[in-house]
Amino acid sequence: MTSNSPSSPSPGSDTSGQPPDEILRLLERNIRDYAIFMLDPDGHVMTWNAAAERIKGYSAEEIIGQHFSTFYLPEDLAVGRPEHNLQTAVREGRVEDEGWRVRRDGSRFWANVVITALYDERRQLRGFGKVTRDMTERRRAEQALRESEERFRLLVQDVTDYAIFMLDATGHVISWNAGAERIKGYSAQEITGRHFAVFYPREDVAAGRPEHNLETAMREGRVEDEGWRLRQDGSRFWANVVITALYDDRRRLRGFGKVTRDMTERREAERNLSDRRRLLAHLVRAQEAERRRIAWDVHDDSIQEMAAVGMRLQLLAEQLSEPQAGQLGELGDRVNDAVNRLRNLVTRLRPPGIDRQSLAAALSDYLAETGADWGVKSTVENKLVTEPPPESAVTIFRICQEALTNVRKHAQAKAVTIRLSPQGSGVLTQVIDDGMGIEEPSDLRPGPDHFGVIEMRERAETVGGWWTMARRAEGGTVVEFWIPAPSGESPIRAGDW
Amino acid sequence: MTAAAPPLTVLICDDDARIREALRDVINAQPDLTVVALAADADQAVALAARQHPDVAIIDVRMPGGGAATAREVRDQSPDTRILAFSAHHDNGAIREMEQAGALDYVVKGAPIRDIVSAVRRVGSAESPDDPADQ
Repeated sequence: MTSNSPSSPSPGSDTSGQPPDEILRLLERNIRDYAIFMLDPDGHVMTWNAAAERIKGYSAEEIIGQHFSTFYLPEDLAVGRPEHNLQTAVREGRVEDEGWRVRRDGSRFWANVVITALYDERRQLRGFGKVTRDMTERRRAEQALRESEERFRLLVQDVTDYAIFMLDATGHVISWNAGAERIKGYSAQEITGRHFAVFYPREDVAAGRPEHNLETAMREGRVEDEGWRLRQDGSRFWANVVITALYDDRRRLRGFGKVTRDMTERREAERNLSDRRRLLAHLVRAQEAERRRIAWDVHDDSIQEMAAVGMRLQLLAEQLSEPQAGQLGELGDRVNDAVNRLRNLVTRLRPPGIDRQSLAAALSDYLAETGADWGVKSTVENKLVTEPPPESAVTIFRICQEALTNVRKHAQAKAVTIRLSPQGSGVLTQVIDDGMGIEEPSDLRPGPDHFGVIEMRERAETVGGWWTMARRAEGGTVVEFWIPAPSGESPIRAGDW
Repeated sequence: MTAAAPPLTVLICDDDARIREALRDVINAQPDLTVVALAADADQAVALAARQHPDVAIIDVRMPGGGAATAREVRDQSPDTRILAFSAHHDNGAIREMEQAGALDYVVKGAPIRDIVSAVRRVGSAESPDDPADQ
């Protein structure tokens, strides 16, 4: 219990139940949103407040004594709306009206008007209380909302790529759009009210998949499902389905939103693509097998034969005197040169050791062997944890070979680095040099393939990877490519080589 | 090279007869070298090495039975025989395997014959190689 200070009586201490006039006047002056005034029994303005002045534009002096029909539009006056409102108020005690009214400057505002008939103790009509609210802003907002909702509804209605519709809480269709009709074949009349299980193949219905999807959506908010669905004519399409549970403010389930997309074409395209990839992989395999066979033939026959001939020519040259010795010696040298060229051919046809050692080791060997000839410091950075399957390894090796040929021919580099790192389900390879750098993008334009760009890119894209070449900011060129390296495939290791 | 020293004995092991015979003639043309045996595969090479104990065995990197395995077995049978690897192409992986099997050097087919014979002399006059298992 606190004692009241005698100098400041608490507001609650006034027990009359009537706020003092002063407070009422304050209230009236500060109410900005409601024009509150009185009319006499004939409809003439008797009082005016600040909000009335603000909303309608008249000062008290201007308007008091004027008939309130001044506020109405000519067309409302023509149908006697002011009088009708007063009569209704008299008859029913009050009337509420909403409509356009006119300000003093002739501009219009949307008004909500309540007119209350005021009677004294002897049931004598003394006038009317009138409360007018300027609803223009709110009306505009409501209209905008309505229009936006309408536009959205039309959008949903007219979308044909997606079936967008609603289910009630038990799974019965309650709305339908053009896309749903296009994809599933039912018209709105045909499907409304039916359970959405009709879209599922029999085996899915038997497995309880429709119910399961709804339960998951209820539990987790939404569920995404992919699988076969039925059209009205019984044909199947491959559907991607998202079901969203719709809850109201009180967390009561009101139904489900369902968006279905026909993925049949895309699925087939993907399958065709993978068929194409399989074919290309087969082609790459066949090509590599063929190259390997040629390499073996050259290695086992041509090189042996020519090396033997070379040895015999040199031997003969040692046993003869000039000028035959010199001529034979020269022939022997030429044969040896040819053997060396054949050896390089074999190396290009079939990277030595790629079947037997790791990709990184094969690349290191290749770099050590070729790099030594052109005086470039070479490094292989291997961050791979697992070896890519042989086909991927051969593709990576081949592209590296081509990139290194470019470095040797064009880059004038002092160092080259090959970096192998795992990325996603494949291998990212970078061939980085510190040479003069390509003049991109002109060097990447279609045209004569003097950088082997097309071949490198096609090799990568053939197996479903990507390839790119760019000038490095710090100088030089980087060739970067990603090759998928599926781990599930059984590795096909070549025999002893 | 002193005339009094006995020639280095050489075993040639290559599955290609053309190479085998040309190499034999090249080596035999050198007064300080002599070919004592020719082998066409691993089994022959091992048997001949066991019987002849040549100073040098020239072994083709790629041959039936495998160059490295052949080198290893030859050294088992004839520990003082030094191995020279002979190869038709640069396959560093195969060359490493030959080194691990005890080969002291290698030459490529198509090298000038003076390089080949000097490699034979170099290997033949080298210290007896360590047992590769100790490396």
